[in-house]
Formats: sequence, structure tokens, C-alpha cells
Amino acid sequence: MWLTVFLVRRVAATLRYVAMSVLIVDDHPSFRATARVLLESEGFDVVGEAEDGSSALEAVAALHPQIVLLDVQLPDLDGFEVAARLAELNGAAPAVILTSSRDRADFGTLVEESGARGFVPKAELSGAALLSLLN
Amino acid sequence: MRLLRTALWPVALLAGLGAFALILTSEHEQTPLMTGVLTLLVGWSFAISGLVAWSRRPANFFGALMVAAGLAWFVRAVVAADNAFAFTLGQILQYLVFGILVHLLLAYPRGALESRLARVLVVAAYLEVTIVQLVYLLFERPRAPGCSGCPPNQILLSKNPAVADGILFASRMGGIAIAALVAWIYTRRWRDATPAARRVLGPVLATGLLATALTTIWLVASSVDEDAGRYAFWATMTGLALVPLAFLAGLLRSRLALANVGQLVVSLGQTARPGELRDAIAQALGDPSVKLAYWLPESESWVRIDGRRLPSLASPDGRNVATIVERNGERVAAIVHDAFLHEDPELLDAVVAAAGLALENEQRLAALTQSEARLRAIIDALPDLMFRVSRDGTYLAVKAERTGDLVVPPDQLIGRNVRDILPREIAGPLLNCIEEALEQGAARTVEYEYELELEGFPRFFEARIVPGGEHEVVMLVRDFTERHNSELERQQLQAELRERLEELQASRARMVEAGDNERRRLERNLHDGAQQRLVSLSLSLRLAHAKLADPEAARTILDGASQELAAALEELRELARGIHPAVLTDRGLGPALETLVGRTPLPVEVETNLEERLPEQIEAAAYYVVSESLANVAKYANASSARVSISRENGAAIVEVADDGIGGADPTLGSGLRGLVDRVEALAGRLEVESVPGRGTQIRAEIPCE
Repeated sequence: MWLTVFLVRRVAATLRYVAMSVLIVDDHPSFRATARVLLESEGFDVVGEAEDGSSALEAVAALHPQIVLLDVQLPDLDGFEVAARLAELNGAAPAVILTSSRDRADFGTLVEESGARGFVPKAELSGAALLSLLN
Repeated sequence: MRLLRTALWPVALLAGLGAFALILTSEHEQTPLMTGVLTLLVGWSFAISGLVAWSRRPANFFGALMVAAGLAWFVRAVVAADNAFAFTLGQILQYLVFGILVHLLLAYPRGALESRLARVLVVAAYLEVTIVQLVYLLFERPRAPGCSGCPPNQILLSKNPAVADGILFASRMGGIAIAALVAWIYTRRWRDATPAARRVLGPVLATGLLATALTTIWLVASSVDEDAGRYAFWATMTGLALVPLAFLAGLLRSRLALANVGQLVVSLGQTARPGELRDAIAQALGDPSVKLAYWLPESESWVRIDGRRLPSLASPDGRNVATIVERNGERVAAIVHDAFLHEDPELLDAVVAAAGLALENEQRLAALTQSEARLRAIIDALPDLMFRVSRDGTYLAVKAERTGDLVVPPDQLIGRNVRDILPREIAGPLLNCIEEALEQGAARTVEYEYELELEGFPRFFEARIVPGGEHEVVMLVRDFTERHNSELERQQLQAELRERLEELQASRARMVEAGDNERRRLERNLHDGAQQRLVSLSLSLRLAHAKLADPEAARTILDGASQELAAALEELRELARGIHPAVLTDRGLGPALETLVGRTPLPVEVETNLEERLPEQIEAAAYYVVSESLANVAKYANASSARVSISRENGAAIVEVADDGIGGADPTLGSGLRGLVDRVEALAGRLEVESVPGRGTQIRAEIPCE
């Protein structure tokens, strides 16, 4: 595992020379904190956090992250809605990775239809998982 | 036969004259004039009466017998002949007339001998006056004693005074016996005769009785003294002459009665009161037992004048019989009368003919009386009130079983107007209906329903109005209060039922909704709480694993993970308790309430008065009542303390939660209280909330547990 992380980090550094910027959107502070530590430790640049859909849209507009790690269940707009709106930002649209503590199968075809790059279960979150979805 | 009767008139006349001449010219007749006149009188009276009776009733043998008696009487005069042979023949036949008289008296009035005794007596009488007389003459002296001038006996066989006297004595005794028996029969007949029979038979019975008595006296007297015998014989002859006269008198009386009948019936006319006609007919027939029966073709039955049915016309003993009266070929009535009146058919026919019209009138009256009685019975059988009301609304007649069904008693109703009796709002439409009914004519019925307060209760009536004449109606009023009330009750019951059903449906919907909400809440709690913490824990562990090279960083991460885990466990416990308190299942309501109170952020006093555990469902309901109530107290009541009491009274669990807070709770608003109401009512219990603003809230649940 660590080897994979190591390789990813090397490849990223080699190819882009800069770490990829990430916005974490989740209403649970504990998850946001853990995800930030995890992703930063794997070389991602966590540029910001948002606790609901609307503040997520604002953060994207302000921070222009390359990746948005977007929780499906949010207090106001749900993750699919936020993903759809982000997809409308032609050219400036970040890569959206949906995440949830629920199983992907619980959402049927919603993930594909949302315009997101993919879905990663919260318990399986890792930099490698994000990169594999991006590629 | 008619020719014979016609011929007999001159025969009787000539025979009488001949006999009279023979007696007058007789040399040995001691009292020729007296005997001659009497012979003539008696003979003619029998012969003439007999011929009259015979021609009136040719089938009756009685008339012929009378004629025979008359002729035999003249034959007897031959004894006055001076010629010895004629004299002897006269002697043989001189008593034949008595045989015929016995026959005649016993055959009266029908001309036939109706009893065995009568037949025996007649045969005996005929034997005595013929054979015994003949035998007597065989032994008689040549000349009868006391008759010196009499011609000699031509058939004398042997003069034997002893035998002759013996025969004579026996013959007289026999004659006395026969006369006495005839007299006895006549007495009995008189005694047994009905008044009508006495009227018809009376004269003949009386004179017959007299004649037989005189005959007896004559027979006794002549055996004692010759002169006495002669006088007694004259008396007997006179008595016998009365019999046909009595018969004629009876006929005359019938004729007179006929005249009376016509007069009586005419005088009665059509104005006869019931019973008067019967009395008139009874008087005309001389039969007080007369009854009248009227034929009703419709019911094919005989009825009396009052319309009551008569089971049978004739009496079972046959003493009373019925003569049917017909008019124009139609049966009208029957006169039930004494059977003896058939002996007087002319009278009966005359009465029937004369009374026909009057009887026909009474027949109609009887039919009317009967149909009126039927109508009355129908009216009486109807439970409805009935009124006759004139066009202007005046009550003409009323029929009510209960005075309470009327606004005023019947005697105060008649003559008054509907407007004065009934409220205006009823009287008005009612008068319109009356007018409508009268305009529409007889075939139509107008119906009208109204409500009236009687005896302090509202009553509902429906009136049916039928024209009963040109200016009046018959109004049938039926009380349908009972039907109305039961319909009302039914509707109320139905509405109540519908309301309860709707309530039940709403309650079920709320319970389903509450269940769904609860599940949603649980899912959310699990997802947002324990699951998120476990996700973080998972990530932290992976991170710690990655930081193994940096022990300090790894420890920090693991410390955080440990706290996450503790928090996740606590949330799971809380959640489980929310689903169902384990302590309630394991330890019962008391300990469960203590736990609940322990978590409530204000002092709560608990009082339980239960000797044993309540049924599981009721325990749960009681727990949630307390739990929800205390939660509400903590959230909204702003109370300083609360009190919980659980008890069991009269087969029900009573749960009470009271606080000293601000009050003003509304069970119809909050979903929590509403859910409690549903939960309690699902167990057939009742939840009451009293929450006056400023006076705290009292919640009381009563749940039946037997």
C-alpha cells in the first residue's frame, strides 16, 4: 500500500511538479479532519473544506480545486445536485469524486448520471483511490 | 174425484131428506121430530163440512171421512124404517157412524192415523160397530126392549137374552174404553200443542173432546137407564154436530186472519221499525214463536235483522220450520214458524205474499246493517286517528283510541276549526291539502306530514286525506314518531360509527407514519453518528498504520481513534435505548422509570402502586407515556419539578404525569402527544391532557388491563 502511495506521489511530482489541490465537502467535521490528514500525508494539497452544498459551490468558485471530494449526503443540496452544478462550469469544472459511508450500490445509477468522475466509499478513501478514478 | 165430490152434494141432500122423512113417518120412532131434526143437523153438518174440507184439500182424507160420517149418520136412520128387513139392516149399521167418528177424530188433522194406538183404536171401533153389533143381533130378542112397535129382528139366530146382554155389556165397556182413550189422546194433544197448533187445531180438539166425553156418558147412562140413555144420546148427537161446526169455525178464523195480515202489513208499510214486521207476522200467523231470517246473496247466508248470522233456519226437533219467501224469483227472507202452520197453508201463503215487500225492505236493511257492522269493524281495527273535516276545516267527527293523541279531547274538537286547534304552520298546509283532495275527486289521496308537540313530546304524523263527500273529507292520521325516532337514532349511530372509523383510520395512518419517522430517525442516527465515527476510525487506523515510522504521530492518531471508538459505542447505546429500553423488558416498569427519571434534568417524584407486573404491551405504553411526557416537561414546560404516578384501579392501569410548569400544551398539535393518544387508544384506553396556561400540565392515561 505504502509503495503505491509512494509511487503515486513520485509520479505526480514528476508529471506535474506540484501537488493536486483538493476540496473536501462533508458535514461531519471528524471525517473532514481525518480525510485532510490522510490526503495531505499522501501528497495532496487540501485547499479547503466545506460543510454543505452551497458553501462547497462557493469554495470551488473561490479556490478552483482540481479535485472535489464530495459527500453524497449534505444538509442542504445533496452531493449529486452539487456535482451536477459543478459539471456545468465548462472548462473550470473540477474533477468530482463522490464519497459516502453507504455502499455505491445504494445509489443505483445516480453516480454515473451526476457527471462525477467516480465514487469512493469513505472507509476506502486514499490518494491512490482518487488517482485511479482520475485516470 | 172432483166429480164424485160434486155428486155427493145432492146425494147428501137427498139422503138427509130421505132419512128425515123416514124418521117422521116411522111408526115405532118414539120422538120422530126430535130425532129427525137432530139426524138432519148432525148428518148435514158432517157432510157439508166434509165436502168443503175435501174440496179445499183433496189429498187430505179427513174431508172424505167427514162426508162418510154424515152419510153413515143418514144410514143410521134406516132403523126408523117399519119394514123388518130395512129395520134389521138399520140395526146392523146404526153404530157404524161411531166407528167412522173415532177414525175421523184420530185422523185429524192430517187425515192419516199417525200412531199405533190410534190404528188399534180405529180397528177396534170398526170391529165393535160392525161384527160385534152383528153378533149381538144374532142373539137379541125379537124386539128391542122399550120398542114395542119395532119390527122383528130378521137375523135372530137364537134368542138368548143372557148372551145378548153379555155382548151388549162388553160392547158398551169397549165403547167406553175407546171413547176414554180417544179423549185421553185428545187431552194429550192439546197439552203438547204449541200456541200456533192450538189456534189451528183448538176448535176441533175441544169439540172432539166434548163429543167423546158425551159419548162415554151416553154409553154409561144407557146401560143404567133407558130414558137417561136417550137424553144422553141427544146430547151426544148435539156434541158430535159441533165437531164439523168447529172445523168450519177454524176455516172461518183462518179467512179472518188472512184479512188481518194484509191490513197489518199495509199499515206497517215501509216505515216499520225493526221487529215490528215480525210481531205483525207472528200475530197474523197466530204463532208467537215466529222468527224472521233474511237472505244475503253476497255471503250466501241467513242473517237476522241486526245483520248477525243465523246458523240454521229450522229447529232440530222439527217443531219449527222455515217457509222461504221469494220475490221476482229471488230469495228474500224466511219465516221460521211452527210446523203446525203447514196445516193452514192458505194463511201461510197469504202472509208470505203480503209480507214480501216489507220483508224485501228489511232484507236490504239487514244487508245494510251487516255491511255497516263490517265497516265499523274495519274502522275500529285501524290504529289511526280518523277525522271527518268539512271543506272550511271544521271537525265533524273524530275517532281516536287515546285522547292523548289529540290536541284537545274529542268533545271539545267537534265543531271547531283546524285553524283554532293546530298551529298555523300546520293548519295552513293541511287546509290546502283538504282543498286539493276535494278538487281532485274521490280517487285521489293527498298525503301530508307534520310534527306536533303532544303531552310534552314532539310527535310526527302523516295525514292521508280522501274526499268523503262534496264538501268534506276523511282524514286518516298516523303517528310515525317511533319510525321517525328510530330513523334518527340510526342516522346518529351511523354518523358516530363513521366518525369513529375515520378516527381509527387517522390513528392508524399516524401510527404508520410515526413508525416510518422513527425508522428514518434511526437510520439517520446510525448513519450520522456511529457509522461516521466508525468510518473515521477506519481511516485513522489506516493513517496510523502509514505513520508507523513516526511513532509519535501514530500515537496521536491512535488516541484520536480511541476517542472516536468510545463516542461511537456511546451513541450506539443511546440509540438502542431509544429503540426499546432493555431495562423495561428485563426489570419491569419501576426500574425503567427510575432510569428515565435519572436522565430527566429536573426533580421527579415517582409513585408506583403495582403488586405485580403489567402486561408487556401496557407496560410499554405506560413507559412511553411517562418518557414522552417527561421529555416534553424538560423541553417546553419550564417546570421546577414533576410527579409520576402509576397505579392499578378497577381493572385499568392509570398513568399520571403532572408538572408545575407553564401549561398550555395541546395534544392535537404535537406529534409526540398525538402519538401517545394513538398508542393508548390502540389498547382501548383513554388519554386525557389538562393543561391550563399557568397551572401546569396533567396527563392521565387509563388503559384497561383485564
